[in-house]
Amino acid sequence: MNRRRVTVVAAAVGVVAGATGLGLLAMPAGAGPAPVLPDVSAEALVESVLNAKPAAFGGTVDVDNDLGIPAIGGVPQLSDGASNLRIWTDGAGKLRVQLPSGDSERTFVDDGQTAWMWDSAEQTVTKMPHGSFEHGEPDLSGEPKAAPTDPVTLSRQVVAAIQEYSDVTVDGTARVANRPVYELVLTPKPTEKTVLREVRVAVDAELRVPLRVAVLTNGTDAPAAQVGFSELNVGPQDASLFAFTPPAGAKVTEPEVEKPSAEDKAAAEQAFTEANPQVIGEGWDVVLAARVPQDALTGLADLQQQGQREGRWQEHGQGEDVDVQGLIKQLGKQVSGAWGSGTLITTRVGGVLIADDGRVAAGAVPEQVLVDAIGQVK
Amino acid sequence: MTSSTSARVEPVTTTGSTPVLAARTRGLRKVYGRTVAVDRVDLDVPRGAVLGMLGPNGSGKTTTIRMLLGLVRPTEGEVELLGKALPDGVAEALPHVGALVEGPGFHPFLSGRENLRRAAAFEPLLATGDIRQAVEDALERVGLAAAAHRRYRGYSLGMKQRLGLAAALLVKRKLIVLDEPTNGLDPAGTREVRKVIADLHEAGSTVVVSSHLLSEIEAICTHVAVLHRGTVVAQGELAELLHADSSSLLVVTPDVDDALNALRAGRISARPIEEGVRVELIGTTAPAVLETLVRAGVAVHEARRHRTGLEDLFARLTEAEESEHNLSAVDTIEEGAR
Amino acid sequence: MSALVATRAPLGRQLRSELRWILRRPRTVIGLASLCLVPILAGIGLWFAVDGEGPAGPGLAAIISGNGLVLPVFTLFLALPLLLPLVGAIWAADGLAGEAQHGTLRGLMISPVGRIRLLGIKAFGVATMTLFAVTLIAFVGAITGVVLFGGEGMLTLSGSTLSFGAALGRIVLTILLVTVQVWGVAAVALAISACTEHPLVVMAATMAGVIVFAVLGVFSALDWLHPYLITSAWEGLVDVMRDPLPTEGLWRSTALAACYIVIGMSLAAMRLATKDN
Repeated sequence: MNRRRVTVVAAAVGVVAGATGLGLLAMPAGAGPAPVLPDVSAEALVESVLNAKPAAFGGTVDVDNDLGIPAIGGVPQLSDGASNLRIWTDGAGKLRVQLPSGDSERTFVDDGQTAWMWDSAEQTVTKMPHGSFEHGEPDLSGEPKAAPTDPVTLSRQVVAAIQEYSDVTVDGTARVANRPVYELVLTPKPTEKTVLREVRVAVDAELRVPLRVAVLTNGTDAPAAQVGFSELNVGPQDASLFAFTPPAGAKVTEPEVEKPSAEDKAAAEQAFTEANPQVIGEGWDVVLAARVPQDALTGLADLQQQGQREGRWQEHGQGEDVDVQGLIKQLGKQVSGAWGSGTLITTRVGGVLIADDGRVAAGAVPEQVLVDAIGQVK
Repeated sequence: MTSSTSARVEPVTTTGSTPVLAARTRGLRKVYGRTVAVDRVDLDVPRGAVLGMLGPNGSGKTTTIRMLLGLVRPTEGEVELLGKALPDGVAEALPHVGALVEGPGFHPFLSGRENLRRAAAFEPLLATGDIRQAVEDALERVGLAAAAHRRYRGYSLGMKQRLGLAAALLVKRKLIVLDEPTNGLDPAGTREVRKVIADLHEAGSTVVVSSHLLSEIEAICTHVAVLHRGTVVAQGELAELLHADSSSLLVVTPDVDDALNALRAGRISARPIEEGVRVELIGTTAPAVLETLVRAGVAVHEARRHRTGLEDLFARLTEAEESEHNLSAVDTIEEGAR
Repeated sequence: MSALVATRAPLGRQLRSELRWILRRPRTVIGLASLCLVPILAGIGLWFAVDGEGPAGPGLAAIISGNGLVLPVFTLFLALPLLLPLVGAIWAADGLAGEAQHGTLRGLMISPVGRIRLLGIKAFGVATMTLFAVTLIAFVGAITGVVLFGGEGMLTLSGSTLSFGAALGRIVLTILLVTVQVWGVAAVALAISACTEHPLVVMAATMAGVIVFAVLGVFSALDWLHPYLITSAWEGLVDVMRDPLPTEGLWRSTALAACYIVIGMSLAAMRLATKDN
């Protein structure tokens, strides 16, 4: 009788414990109590961020993307949803970035002399000169501000550029990747027309490097995009991480970046120089405008194809010709005005206006500001 | 008739001395949903007895046995097994109890020997080194030694039953509970089982045997408990119950007057009945009565004992069951629980 | 009446008997033999695919060429979504429901075996057999892989090549990770097994659960539910093939399976303790 009751009670406790465990696992990693840190003024914090020395570290960056951008080729870190990337750097130019996606992975290794890019799904290795990733490939997402790459670089740009148009405050402390941070909040001045409400940058209390950037838009509490370390080990990293030997069976290619060709990357780069990119407006309302030649968009098309292959593996070389214009039209809505006509793609953090004649304007601003800007594109 | 049998009969309990009990239940009651399977069962199993649990199918025999073995929790009431109160005393009492409940349960893909080995591995009282021998002994005892290597799947009903018996005999038990042990056995098999029970009794074990056959109980039991509709309607020593009514002999004869005269001359009390005479067996025996009648030249067509209390009771129960012929609620439950 | 002392059969003997019983079952032998076929068939299939143009397939299949030690990992991930849960469910079903069906569960309880101990013995049997089955697949997979594709080390998804020893370490790690996931399913199957006398019901219910979970995992509208689904952790196990090894996701999926084990075993214990036999 008693023994039975004890068993039943113990079993009930077990069920509750198991369910609680499930709940704990499902909850986002607990932030823990806010650490007590010496007070620091916003200005001093920004200053220290700008002057911070690059450190050696390794970690995992979680990317939570709720921008409302349509899926962008093959790199889930840029698409809506949660994903992560793993990053190691020795703070002196050597870099390793891994982009896991599904059951494949891309690995970028820059060993100081040569940069390698490995794609497990294709079993290919691309060999490039040192520093290729630092300057980045041309960003085709149309959202340069939101494209999450390295939070250190990203936040510095954000802080430096926007300071004079923003109220900068320190909103307490928190923990990111189990490290104490100051929460630096950048709020657009009331005169700004941006759709963004605020940008929160978590600054490591010791290293003074941003560990997390969150972009919040008007009307919602959840960040439209958040890039932050979920795991961070500061200190010298294992040297073998920055070495790469192409595996035996892999195909190694060495694209020549200088020569203009129809290859996507080169073409896109060339397109960027031809496009006469210009910045219109200032502060939060800055609009990036350019004139994009039609063939530059094939780069985008190739990426889209890759994206399809990630989802469902297909035979090689299928669907070479993609109607890019048609694709863009599907993604956005048709608008027209005195400036001409085109397609407007809106996301939660702003929009892109693509005129039918190739003019493009993008920014974290409402539609009307984009329309005004595209009218100024020559 | 039906209503009179279903009416509660106060248990006829005969207790000569107060023997130590091997098992005892008090106020046992088991309810499945809204159906009462067993109610107010006060069962006494004297140590060293062979107790027959007699009752038609669905009378609650198996449910009572399952509660006796701690397999089923009583809704109410208590069970004491070898002096230990259940369910807490299960670990103390059950190793000394062998049982065959609701037919033999074995794995069809294993041989008889493998099945017994598996059962033996879980017997607390068997030392690991003794398992092999205990299994062979048990197989020998039930006459399965020759078929031990065959898969259980291929066994006849009788062989299965005997293997079940063997499992109960793996260890020298204080109490052995056998639920319908002769089910499916041919007459030779039945005799063997009776012999095994007699041996156990002789060796001092207590045996509880359930059966719906009166002849079986009469042949092997020292004590009997009659169950009907989930309750004990009679229990006690077999002999006492059989003779609970003063016994009498019914003699079928056309020569009633001659018979009465002859018996009176022999100082045997008798009275006429429809088909012959009824002789009270007080101070005399049936053979003496018949001898007297035959000597007097009375034509005896038939002579039979008048039914005693137990037989009467049992006949009433079983006949009622047969005449109704529909399964009682208890039956349905037992089928469902199987 | 002499005082009776509580006695128990030695646990080791009971556990041995349980394993012996499982291994003697024809179904077990046939099942294990067919599990051996999985890596062989997968290897042959990939071998033909490697001959063609480009990668042999998506995911892990893409790096199989010249990299035979990936085959055990590939096969285990291939078997994890359906085949291995089925195997675990079969053993769990036979453990309690099957024994009840044959009437042998009653026999064990009369022996007596305490009900919690009985559950422990059954869980041990299922757990051991699951580990054995997973190891068997990996072993056959490794042999097949090396024979068909060669390779002394292991190419990871990250493009680095592990030494033979490290490769074996990854295979062992995969075996353990996959086994724990199957244990999670089998524990729930054991709880179902304690509630019925029909092994088929257990298998059907378990597989239905696994399939429903997998389907729920597809809908992004239900992404709040996904962290609770054991099946949703399975895709992430491919992390084992990345270098350096990212441990966080692996710990997480193992902890998720552990929660399922705790819940399943608790429910089974609760049911067994209150069950009438």
